[in-house]
Amino acid sequence: MKAGRLERTVGVVLGVGAIVSVALLGMGIAGMCAAHVGPLDRPFPPFDLERLPADLASLKPAGFLWLGLLAVILTPSIRVIASLVGFAAAGERRMVAVAVVVLAAICLSAALGAGG
Amino acid sequence: MAELLLLIGSGVAAGAFGALLGLGGGVLIVPLLTLGFGLPLREAVGASLVCVIVTSSAAASVYLQRDVANLRLGMTLEMFTATAAMAGGLVAFIVPDRVLALMFAALLAYVAVTMARVRDARGDADAGDAPHARHVSRPTGRTTGDAPDADPREAAEEDERPSASVEPDGSGALTASLSGPGYRVRNLGRGVLGSLLAGVVSALFGVGGGIVKVPVMNLVMGVPIRVATATSNLMIGVTASAGALVYLFRGGIDPYVAAPTAVGVFAGASLASRLSHRVDLGTLRLLFVAVLVVTAAQMALRGIG
Repeated sequence: MKAGRLERTVGVVLGVGAIVSVALLGMGIAGMCAAHVGPLDRPFPPFDLERLPADLASLKPAGFLWLGLLAVILTPSIRVIASLVGFAAAGERRMVAVAVVVLAAICLSAALGAGG
Repeated sequence: MAELLLLIGSGVAAGAFGALLGLGGGVLIVPLLTLGFGLPLREAVGASLVCVIVTSSAAASVYLQRDVANLRLGMTLEMFTATAAMAGGLVAFIVPDRVLALMFAALLAYVAVTMARVRDARGDADAGDAPHARHVSRPTGRTTGDAPDADPREAAEEDERPSASVEPDGSGALTASLSGPGYRVRNLGRGVLGSLLAGVVSALFGVGGGIVKVPVMNLVMGVPIRVATATSNLMIGVTASAGALVYLFRGGIDPYVAAPTAVGVFAGASLASRLSHRVDLGTLRLLFVAVLVVTAAQMALRGIG
């Protein structure tokens, strides 16, 4: 993969990620309106990966909100994975190593956050 | 319903205001949510990080497809911004709320001063003192530089910038591989230090960290301002993402607040890119400095209790 092409591909990944994220958040907000949930209502639904599929299946606003927020937060990681694949295809070993370290830092953040 | 519309509207205003002035919006969103909506500071920072990632992804997408952002340099520095953001995110849950508010007030004051200096520098430039203006405005004009459409005057200025000198510390092969057309990256070590600071600032305060990254890349590493702005924007996503994951798993993100704010900021930033040529940026900048000063004072009062 040539450098310019890789940049464009990664750019498309980011753009699609942003649009999908905002669309999911929009669906969640529409759900909030339908369910008469205010933004300052407490307590807010906690983040629970195991509950997410059930919330989505029952069209609960929290399901779409959390899925949208996950899409927002994970879009940059998907961009790093796309870059990693591109660098590997181009034989750029140093950049592959860089991408792996960046992904490791992101995974460590999640692990430390979850561990606290 | 009224609260929801108000939150989305506030997000639109923060996104538009920030994008018009080359900011990510985080510096506006945190005070807006804490002082305007009474949210705890850490939840405001969590929501702000989400907003910063959305705007960064959208803007960086454009920058990459236009071949302005330097992907290799950005990813190399991301190793350090992401690691530092993880540490900053953990520290944010230890630091008392009041101390965090005081630190945020200091950050706002710093941004206000740099924005005011940009205004002064541009005034000086108009009066013919161009070298001074360039020296001051380069690092600050795009400090948080997250808007997809950079100031065309700065972009044009940059096209005339000569290539940077050869790396003196022997890491020539590495810096050469990170360089781009018309410039050569230098002082990678100092860039790493700047990236570590940017990562901590991002996760602690819910901002993109461009306020550190752009000046470091431009002034210290010899990266043209337009490329530095675009590359910083690219890095903001991963940096804020590392911090946001800590907030997510520690219950620091309120989906009812983060989602409408993020959608509002996204819409506002998109709107601003279409309006940027119709707005008097000088007046807007002055207004922004005034808002920042008042907000910094309010945050300081909150910190003092």
